[in-house]
Amino acid sequence: MLLDLPVLKKGSFYFIKDGDTDLIMEDKTKRGLTIKETSIDEKLNVKADKGMIHDMDGIGHWVSIRWYFSKNYYDLSQVMVHAEAMEKKYTKLRELTCPEDND
Amino acid sequence: MSYAHPEVLVDTEWVSKNPPNDNMKLVEVDYDPVNGYQKGHISGASLIWWKRDINDPVTRDIINKKQFEALMSKNGITPDTEVILYGDFNNWFAAFVFWVFKYYGHENLKIMNGGRKKWELENKNYTTDEPQMTQTTYNAQPPDEGLRAYLFDVSRILGREDSVMVDVRSPAEFSGEITAPPEYPMEHAQRGGHIPGANNIPWATAVNDADGTFKAVEELKQNYESKGVTPDKDVICYCRIGERSSHSWFVLKYLLGYPMVRNYDGSWTEWGNMIGNPVEK
Repeated sequence: MLLDLPVLKKGSFYFIKDGDTDLIMEDKTKRGLTIKETSIDEKLNVKADKGMIHDMDGIGHWVSIRWYFSKNYYDLSQVMVHAEAMEKKYTKLRELTCPEDND
Repeated sequence: MSYAHPEVLVDTEWVSKNPPNDNMKLVEVDYDPVNGYQKGHISGASLIWWKRDINDPVTRDIINKKQFEALMSKNGITPDTEVILYGDFNNWFAAFVFWVFKYYGHENLKIMNGGRKKWELENKNYTTDEPQMTQTTYNAQPPDEGLRAYLFDVSRILGREDSVMVDVRSPAEFSGEITAPPEYPMEHAQRGGHIPGANNIPWATAVNDADGTFKAVEELKQNYESKGVTPDKDVICYCRIGERSSHSWFVLKYLLGYPMVRNYDGSWTEWGNMIGNPVEK
């Protein structure tokens, strides 16, 4: 169902989709994770689908997969601020691990 | 008809009525103790953290004899102690630890049928109090290599009619569609698929969906024998990192009584990463 929604904006690491009542921001690096719960993301203070990723030690960490920004309170430019912050974070991580050869 | 070795299982009801004592220890084995043991565990249970306590901290291997002896000492276990294991993730890691205990010759060992899953379904109590253990002196036996398969053992039995490989992973992993679910980004391999000739009998086919307890012996026999996994063969179980396969190893060796079953703990994260290893899809 979410797959069919129109994409308003996309980056290397995110989509923003046009839901009926929400602008939905998706983290592309979390694709395929099982949704274990939907609850408020404390950082962004909006409802989010959450899953769990296990680290090298086996410890599970809750991660948000997609965030639902109510159209009553947010417009696209406000959601874009969060999307661009996410894009910047992942771009920086990629440069640390797989820097492009500019020589 | 009962299991070949019914003495290796206890049920949750028995554990709830028989708290651990000087001669009997209860040990929770977790893959994720932060979301398991630390949030709550059965009263009197100590913790074995699979990653920290059962694996060598540097080399990819299980702990050596000396490390095992230190772990037993820390948990107040002597060679004569009756040990009951249970844990998170459907008892996969409890089964792995059962396998390691047997590898180092511990005799009096049981698994709580259903693990944390069944305990929680029954709304039984947990505590966050951690028991104080008195250190013991533990002298382990030399490793029983008859329980463990290495890469060269697997290579040697490829194509042999008197041997059979049991791949206990999901069908999607077996077919090579995925190498690991996205929840486990550290457990991927360079190639997807399975060891040539292996039978796909997922671990979950050995348990009851509702509560994670083991299926009855007749159902288990049907599950394995119908796919050519019979007691007259040399059986090797594998999965991705060796924990789900130790669960099926436990079923075949102790519940069905197969005489020759080994766990290949290197599993797909070893086989699927080695250059030149044959892979079937």
